[in-house]
Amino acid sequence: MSALLDHLSIGFGVAFSWTNLLVAAIGSFIGTIVGVLPGLGPINGVAMLVPIAFAMQLPPETALILLAAVYVGAEYGGRITSILINVPGEAAAVMTTMDGYPLARQGLASVALSLSAWASFIGSAIAIFGILLLAPLLAGWAIAFGPAEYFVLMVFAFCALTSLLGEQPVKGILAAMVGLSISTIGVDANSGVYRYTFDIPNLADGMDFVVVVIGLFAVAEMMQMLEKLLGGVSIDVPKSERKLFNFKELAFTWWTTVRSGVLGFCIGVLPGAGASVASAVAYANEKKITEGKDPNAKFGRGDLRGLAAPEAANNSAAMGSFIPMLTLGVPGSGTTAVMMGALTLYNITPGPVLFDAQPQIVWGLIASLFIANVMLFLMNVPLVRVFASMLSIPPWLLVPGILATSFIGVYALNGTTFDLMLMVGVGLIGYFLRKMDVPMAPMVLGVVLGNMMEQNLRRALSITNGDLAILFQSGITIGLWVAAVLVAVVPPYWRYRTRKKRENLAAQA
Amino acid sequence: MTLNDRLLGVAALVFAAFLTWFGHDLEAPFSYEPVGPKAFPLLLALIIALCGLRLVFKGGNDVEANPPGANLRIASMVAALAAYAFFFQWLGFVISTALMSLVVGKLFGGGWLKTAIGAVLMGIGLFLAFDKGLDVVLPAGILGDLL
Repeated sequence: MSALLDHLSIGFGVAFSWTNLLVAAIGSFIGTIVGVLPGLGPINGVAMLVPIAFAMQLPPETALILLAAVYVGAEYGGRITSILINVPGEAAAVMTTMDGYPLARQGLASVALSLSAWASFIGSAIAIFGILLLAPLLAGWAIAFGPAEYFVLMVFAFCALTSLLGEQPVKGILAAMVGLSISTIGVDANSGVYRYTFDIPNLADGMDFVVVVIGLFAVAEMMQMLEKLLGGVSIDVPKSERKLFNFKELAFTWWTTVRSGVLGFCIGVLPGAGASVASAVAYANEKKITEGKDPNAKFGRGDLRGLAAPEAANNSAAMGSFIPMLTLGVPGSGTTAVMMGALTLYNITPGPVLFDAQPQIVWGLIASLFIANVMLFLMNVPLVRVFASMLSIPPWLLVPGILATSFIGVYALNGTTFDLMLMVGVGLIGYFLRKMDVPMAPMVLGVVLGNMMEQNLRRALSITNGDLAILFQSGITIGLWVAAVLVAVVPPYWRYRTRKKRENLAAQA
Repeated sequence: MTLNDRLLGVAALVFAAFLTWFGHDLEAPFSYEPVGPKAFPLLLALIIALCGLRLVFKGGNDVEANPPGANLRIASMVAALAAYAFFFQWLGFVISTALMSLVVGKLFGGGWLKTAIGAVLMGIGLFLAFDKGLDVVLPAGILGDLL
């Protein structure tokens, strides 16, 4: 318990500096806007800010606080359009449309907005408490990991991410492998051999992960937006009604919120399953629980519990996904992979050692997450109209703005034309890959983890002079292999079974 | 030609061949470890090739074609971005950004006058915000002496 208080005091000591408070507020604000704008999600926002934070020479904990605030802010922002116009602002807010939009149609838009902000806040608070309890335990356990364990752990992370993300795991594997091969470009650290550089000096250090990520997530995304021309949307938040939820509504949704928050956190901690999965599972779970007991439940037609469940779950899952990155150094989602890449720009490797070596980064981040959540909750209730008005920015202004900001970020890294050209090239390839349903998150994870994965494999094999047996020797490696196989096989099999069942039902009907 | 899984599989096979061709002769002049620099890339190439084969044989999943005119717009935007990247340093941030914003803004259906005004303001505004405000150094280019 005293260790917990120590951690909290370190954390809040870092978070309560004026700079960091200001950065958390700015990050929350930007993040909410990113979440509101369709086509931009947390990963795009974080990716675009990484190089800018680095170029501004923010200290690492401040940069991480900014990125984390943007991430959480985007989860808050995504729900605004879900409720008001039935268009999820980002992937994890899809489930929020189910009951949020019907509520808005019934004239309860402001109540729905404030109640979902509250559910998000409670979900995050539960997750932060979970992080405080779980993170030191996991870090303490992982500190004994050798290179073989790390290698297998990364294999597990890839299996989880590819099998949970898409309908077609083979494309996920392909994406991960392409990402890993991108990471092999440049001088090989062990032997000094140049790999795939083709005598281009700019490639000697490898391809910067920022170039890849911005190419994939900003440039390719804008190309996809060009397929369908959309005008700016102006939406009204109805004025004359009640702004805030009342106590009865709070009590009505309380246990749903808490349950979904806990569930979301557990799902978020697993690598691969992020906020989108968590919100879908929480919604389905609440629907099943309440519909059995409460004949008046009207899920899908504007039930407040159907609104609270996915919002609590997606925020707690987003927070929970920090755990694998911070404690193991192996991010479990695209967005945390980008954040980990940001830390490597500062030559900081997240992982169990970080808890002892630089506790101010870990605990400062966690405390800031809490503060950012308080700010977001306070910001989101009165400023909803400001955020919603961002939707009226026409695309002919918005898209060039996003592109120019992306170029600024990539240019800020090394100041070369080469990086900019490379980013456009990656964007073009990324566009085609997106068209063919190749998921982007495993690729980002591959680029970020590639070097670590190869180094750990080679180190492990050096210990045994090339004998592969070391990868299957310790209890931890065997456990991780089993987990990797299970996570690779079970969800696709489960999906296959439900599809078969649905087909059978359709055949009978 | 429609995009489908078979095409993706062929691309994966080509990529795997590329990795193997330029990776098979990577040798360390002095080696202290059992696994050299080429093992990992070749392992990746193998897995990519297997994924590629699976996609080629299974096929299917034709991608819906873009609405008419979209391909041209997308190609124009790629060209505009390549030009933007190429002239970014030489023309300087303000001018190149204004030009890019004009072209891309037009592609997204903005009117001439509004887009032009927006583009110029965008170039100047972002320069002031990032270069002067946030200390992120941006190229001044041919406006070098003015800024």
